[in-house]
Amino acid sequence: MPTMRGTITIAQESRFQMVEHHGATHLFTLAPNASSEPAQIAALAARQARVRVKYRRGDNVLANVAERIDIDLAPEIAPGVTPGPASCT
Amino acid sequence: MYVSPRAQEFAQSTLERVIPDESELTAGVRIEPGKSYGFFTDTTVCIGCKACEVACKEWNNLPADNLGLTGHSYDNTGALSANSWRHVAFVETSGNGGVRATREAPFQSGWLMLSDVCKHCHNAPCLEACPTGALFKTEFDTVVVQQDICNGCGYCVPACPFGVVDIGSNDGKAHKCTLCYDRLKGGLEPACAKSCPTDSIQFGEVAELQRHAAERVIHLHDLGVSNAYLYGVPNSPGATGGLGHLNAFFLLTARPEVYNLPVAPTRPSRRVAPSLLSGLMAVAGLAVAAAAILSRRE
Repeated sequence: MPTMRGTITIAQESRFQMVEHHGATHLFTLAPNASSEPAQIAALAARQARVRVKYRRGDNVLANVAERIDIDLAPEIAPGVTPGPASCT
Repeated sequence: MYVSPRAQEFAQSTLERVIPDESELTAGVRIEPGKSYGFFTDTTVCIGCKACEVACKEWNNLPADNLGLTGHSYDNTGALSANSWRHVAFVETSGNGGVRATREAPFQSGWLMLSDVCKHCHNAPCLEACPTGALFKTEFDTVVVQQDICNGCGYCVPACPFGVVDIGSNDGKAHKCTLCYDRLKGGLEPACAKSCPTDSIQFGEVAELQRHAAERVIHLHDLGVSNAYLYGVPNSPGATGGLGHLNAFFLLTARPEVYNLPVAPTRPSRRVAPSLLSGLMAVAGLAVAAAAILSRRE
């Protein structure tokens, strides 16, 4: 299953927007059997947490379906960007 | 045009924070819990720009869906769905009794446009059908699905007489317009109404909107548009079958079915008692028939 790393910037119900470190933006929907709840997504967005998302392509939508979300303990930082304070728990 | 006196307090281009009770400036109404809010959609001034669709998708983070072309006029949204909570219908007509009948070229059609949305029914059938309580009435008298409680049973889908509620194919849960519940809580006008360039979609207190809509119908009648009427206000088409009234109601200039709206929507819960009675009568009839057949054999 493909994985994407980035920062959750917007959360709405079970949908969220993630920005990769190089700036590309992607929409995600939580899968029914995902290990996270919508309330946790909102908290991650509020903290601007860096996360790692395992996903599959959505059916008939321009979005991905997030199967698993983990705090990214070793975030990839774009060249020339200084890592900020750790945002994970 | 009415401009709130408070607008002068925010004349600068960039603001450091959200304007408190911003809806007072944009919609002329202060949003307070305990009051009833909704939309009045005046289809005679809709230009089909789809700004409402885009604003809804942007604010609610809804992905593009139904990729491709439907072949139905300029309408590529198709219908309300789990990922499309506003749908601008394009209805091609000829003439339409004076509305947009301005010097059409031969073989050129006229247009009826309507921005469809959840009606936020006063007596919401989807809410009545929900077994988990995921659908609820908010403090603003709107109907919202709580995503963390919805179990995706789908009972609300056939219960809605307008075909609004839909189950998302990717997350298996029911979705529909929330009337921007989060924005209302923050004192903001819903995104679609705020983005509407012609004020076809008007947001406000339902009673006030109904008064304003009635005046608009009289004005249109005076202008010669005799086929203008309201859909969804008390004692009108759309507010039938025990629905009470619709918090999102419309001004139409053609029959409801032209816009793909039901002429006389009803609450399915009203059909429970007759259905149960007919079922019991069928069982009783079968029992009598069986008893008669068995008694003959003896």
